[in-house]
Amino acid sequence: MTETSNLHIAVVGGGPGGYAAAFLAADLGLRVTLIDPEANPGGVCLYRGCIPSKALLHVAKLIDESRHAKNWGIEYADPKIDLARLRSWKEGVVKKLTGGLGILSKQRKIEYIQGRAAFENSNTLRISKTSGGDESLTFDRIILATGSRPAIIPSLKLDTPRVMDSTSALDLNEVPGTLLVIGGGYIGLELGTVYAALGSKVSVVEMLPGLLPGADRDLVLPLHKRMEKSFASILLNTTVAAMKEEPNGIRVTLDGPEVMEREQVFEKVLVSVGRKPNSEIPGLEKTRVQIGPRGFIQVNKQLQTSDPAIYAIGDVVGEPMLAHKASHEGRTAVEAIAGHKVAFEPAAIPAVVFTDPEIAWCGLTETQAQKENHEIKVARFPWAASGRAMTVDRTEGMTKLIFDPQTERVLGVGIVGAGAGDLIAEGVLAVEMAALAKDIALTIHPHPTLSETVMEAAEVFFGTSTHIYRPKKS
Amino acid sequence: MTEFKLPELGENIDQGDLVRLMVSLGASVTEGQPVMELETDKAVVEVPSSVSGTVKEIRVKEGQKVKVGQVIFTVENGTGAKVKAVEPKTPAAKAPEEKPAPVAKAPSPPVTEARPVPASPPAVSTGATDFRLPELGENIDQGDLVRLMISPGSRVSEGQPVMELETDKAVVEVPSSVTGTVKEIKVKEGEKVKVGQVIFTLEGGASAPERAKHAPVEHISEQHEARLSLQAAIQAEGKTAAQVFLPDQPPPLAPTAFAMPEQLGKVAGTEHRAPAPAAPHVRRLAREIGVDIYEVKGTGPGGRISEDDVKAFAKSLLTSAAAAGAAQGRQFAQPELPDFTKFGKVERVSMRGVRRKTAQHLWEAWTTIPHVTQQDKADITELEQLRARFAPKAQEAGGKMTVTAIALKVCASALKVFPQFNASIDMSKEEIIYKQYINIGVAVDTDRGLLVPVLHEVDKKNIVELAAELTQLSKKARDKKLLPSEMEGGTFTITNLGGVGGTGFSPIVNFPEVAILGLSRSSMEPVWMNGKFEPRQVLPLSLSYDHRLIDGADAARFLRWIAEAFEQPFLLSVQG
Repeated sequence: MTETSNLHIAVVGGGPGGYAAAFLAADLGLRVTLIDPEANPGGVCLYRGCIPSKALLHVAKLIDESRHAKNWGIEYADPKIDLARLRSWKEGVVKKLTGGLGILSKQRKIEYIQGRAAFENSNTLRISKTSGGDESLTFDRIILATGSRPAIIPSLKLDTPRVMDSTSALDLNEVPGTLLVIGGGYIGLELGTVYAALGSKVSVVEMLPGLLPGADRDLVLPLHKRMEKSFASILLNTTVAAMKEEPNGIRVTLDGPEVMEREQVFEKVLVSVGRKPNSEIPGLEKTRVQIGPRGFIQVNKQLQTSDPAIYAIGDVVGEPMLAHKASHEGRTAVEAIAGHKVAFEPAAIPAVVFTDPEIAWCGLTETQAQKENHEIKVARFPWAASGRAMTVDRTEGMTKLIFDPQTERVLGVGIVGAGAGDLIAEGVLAVEMAALAKDIALTIHPHPTLSETVMEAAEVFFGTSTHIYRPKKS
Repeated sequence: MTEFKLPELGENIDQGDLVRLMVSLGASVTEGQPVMELETDKAVVEVPSSVSGTVKEIRVKEGQKVKVGQVIFTVENGTGAKVKAVEPKTPAAKAPEEKPAPVAKAPSPPVTEARPVPASPPAVSTGATDFRLPELGENIDQGDLVRLMISPGSRVSEGQPVMELETDKAVVEVPSSVTGTVKEIKVKEGEKVKVGQVIFTLEGGASAPERAKHAPVEHISEQHEARLSLQAAIQAEGKTAAQVFLPDQPPPLAPTAFAMPEQLGKVAGTEHRAPAPAAPHVRRLAREIGVDIYEVKGTGPGGRISEDDVKAFAKSLLTSAAAAGAAQGRQFAQPELPDFTKFGKVERVSMRGVRRKTAQHLWEAWTTIPHVTQQDKADITELEQLRARFAPKAQEAGGKMTVTAIALKVCASALKVFPQFNASIDMSKEEIIYKQYINIGVAVDTDRGLLVPVLHEVDKKNIVELAAELTQLSKKARDKKLLPSEMEGGTFTITNLGGVGGTGFSPIVNFPEVAILGLSRSSMEPVWMNGKFEPRQVLPLSLSYDHRLIDGADAARFLRWIAEAFEQPFLLSVQG
C-alpha cells in the first residue's frame, strides 16, 4: 500500500467516467490531475448529452401532457414557445451542474487543467492549455476517459447548419417545420421527441426492421405505437441514398420498401447513427496501448490497457457507451491503481431510453437469451392492471421479469412505461443480488405506485398475481 | 498454418491449468480475442489470441497443465480473408544457402495427404527464415538471455554460437540452426526467452512473427475488411454509388453500430458466463481473497453464494493447498525477514538461473532427506606416488590425474559392492529403486555457481579415461558450454573441496540420490605405524547419506571400503 499512496495520476477527459475516477482517486489519497477542454468537469454527458436532453425532454412531456389534458376535462391554449428562454434554462441547468463539479474538484484538491493532452511517452503528457502555453507533465499512471463523438456517414456529410448531429440539435437554434431523423436509436428518438413536442413534423428513418435495435420487441411496441401518432412518419428498412442542399431545405433520397415518396425535402436533418470512440489521441502510438476493432481501446477487467501505465474507461473502451458504465469503470480503474483487487464485472448494466413512454432494461434480455439458447421463463405484468397507471392515464406500459427456470433467479428485467428509467433500479439490484422470484414477490411494494408492477410480475411467475388472473399452467 | 502458443503471462509464471477453452474447431479467432481461461499460481486470467484465422487443430484439453510456449491451437488462414491479404507467407523462398528443411517444403503436398508429417516440430513451421530457440533439454522451456553474439546484418552459419543463455541448470551457448544474414533480432539481452520463440530473422523473409507483432497491420486489414463488407451490404441493398465510401475515409460504423448495444446487461468478454449468483460485495470479497466466485457452491436459495460460502471455500482451498504442500514439501516457507535497512544500506538482487535452482534444489534435498554425515580418513601416501607416476599418461589422454578422478573409480567400485548407495527412494510407492548403472556427478565450482556434470558408466571406464572426461566436462562447465543433458542421470555425487582447504564438511545429498562423498584437503599427519609415528599423507572423507535407506553401520562400512581402496589401490582390481 505504501507504494501506491503517493502515486500521481492523470485523468484525461472530465466526463462522468473521468471525474468519477478523479474524485475517487483524490478520496483515496492519490495526487490527481484532471485534464479536459471545458472550463469544468462534465463532459459530453453534462454539456451536450444526457443532461440537456433530459431538460428538454421534461419540457416536451409537459407540452404533451397539457395537450392530453383535454381528455381529463382541462383545456389549455396552444403553448407559446420562447426558444431563447427555454435554451437559457437548459443552459442554466448545465452550468449549475458543471459548476458544482468544478467546486467538488477543487474541494478535493484536484489539479484541473483546461486543455488538451497528447502523449510524449507512456508516462508523459504534453498539455496544450486553453489559456495558452504548453506543459509537459509526468505521471505514474494515466487514465484515458476521452469518451466518444457522434458518428458521421462520410457520404451524407453536408457542410450546412441544416444537417445536425446530436450536439447541434441540443443547441436548439430553431424549431424547423420538418425534421428528418436518420437512425432510430435512442438518441434519434429522444431528440425527435423533443422537436415533435415543440412543433416540428418529425420523420424517422431506420435501416433495420425495428426501432431501438437490440431492445426486446415487446418493450418497443408501445413506444412505436405512440410515436406513430406524434411523428409524421417512421420508415423502417429504409436507408438514405443521397442528400442535397436546396434553398428551402435538404432534398433527401430514400430507399426502402415502405418509402412512398422517394425524394422529400426537409428543413433540417438530424444524423444520429451512433457514436465513435475518441481513441485517436495524439501521441498514442508512442505508448503500447492497443486499439481493437471499431476503434475501441483494449483493456482488461481492471481497465488496464496493454501499456501497464495506462488505463482507459468509458465510451473509449467499448459498449455500452453509457455514463453510468463509465463512472463505475472509472472507480474500478482507480481502485485497481490503488492496489485493490478489483475487476469490472457487473451482473447488469441498466439501459434507459428517455422517450415517452420510457424503455428500460437490465441483465439478460429475451432477444439475447434466444440467441444464446438460454432457457428462461418470462413473467409479464401489463400496466392496464395497475391502479397507478390508470390514475396517470398511461396504461400502455408493461413490466417483465426474466427468470432462470431452475433456480427461479431473476436474470433480467425489462420495463416500458412512464418512469421506467427510475423503476429499473430495483431490477438492477435484483439481478446484482441474485434475487429470486419469491424475494421480489414477498417484498412489500408501496401502493399505489408503478413499482408494484415489479412485485406483481414476480407473482405472475407463480400464477398468483393479485390484479390479473392468469393461473399457472402445470 | 499458424500456431498460437501460450504467451508469457508474467514474472515467474511459466505454466497454468487450463480452466476453459473459449474456441472450438472451425471457429474463427481474431487477434486480441480471449481464447482461454488459465489458472496460474497468481490468478485466473483470460488469455487473448495473438493470431487470427480459423481454428484448425486444438492441442490441449481443459484441465490440463499448459506451459508458456506450448502450442494451444493452430489456425488456418486460407479462408479467413482477414490477415492473409497482408501477409506474404513464402518462407521457403528466402535464405538460399539454407537447405530447405523437409518440413518447410511440405506446404503444398500435404494438402492432399491425410497427414502432413506428424513430427513436424513447431519451430520450423515458418521455414528457414527465422531462428527459434531450440529444445535445450528435459523440462527446460526458457532461459535468461545473457549475451547475444550476433547483430543485424551479421552472417551466421549453422552451428555457429549465437547466444549465451542461462537456464535453471546452466549457462549454455546456443548454436544457430540456420545460415544467412541476420535481418532483425527479436530479443534483448537480459530478457527471458522461451523454447520456440523467434530469436532473429534472416534477410529477405517477411516472416510470420512480424504479423503478430505489428498490430497496426492487422488493424488496417480489419478496417479494410469492414469497409468491404459494408460496401457489399450496401450494394446488396441496391444502393447508389454515392454511398460507396471513399477508401481513404474512415469506415463508417457498421449497420448495427447505431443499435442500442444488445448485450447491455453483460460485459464484453463475459458473455459466456451468466453472472454468479452472489451479491456485488460477495463477488468483490472473493476477488480480494483470490477465490474464483464461479467455483464456489452457494448454499443459499437458488444457489446464492453468501459471504460465508466464499470464506468456507477459501478455507478449504487453504487446507488442501497446505496438505498438498506438506505432501510435496514444496513450500518455501520462511519466517518473515526483519527490515535490514534499519541497520544499514542493503542491496536486493533477484536470484537468477543457477542460484535460484540451487536454492530450490538444496532446500528440497535438505527438507526431504534425513541427513547423517560419516567422517573417515584415508592414507593416500602410496596412492600419491602412483598418481605422480601415471600423471603423464592421463595428460596424454587430455586429462589430469586428480584425486577426484581416482575417487570416481573408487566410488564406482564401492557402489557395486554396496548397491543401496546407488539407489533412490520412492516414498509414494514405498519402494527402493536400485539402479543398474553407475553414473557419478562431480560438483564443479564456476563463477555462475555450483554445477554438477555427470560422468556416465563410470564403472566401465578406466582412471585415465575418467580423468580425461572429467577435465573436459569441468572445462565445459566453466566455459558455460555444459549442456543441461550433461548434468542429468547421476546416481551418486562427489564433491571435492580439497583445492580450497578445510578438514571436513557435511555435504548435502544430491536428491534423488541417496549419498554424496565429500573430499577435503589432504595433509601430512603423523600416523602410528609399525610401533612409531610416521608422516603420512591423509585424505579426510565425509560421506553424507539418506538415513531413511542407509543405516549408520552400512555407511561406516561403505566409507571404510572407500578409504581402504584409496590406501591399497590394488584392491580396486581385486574387488572393484
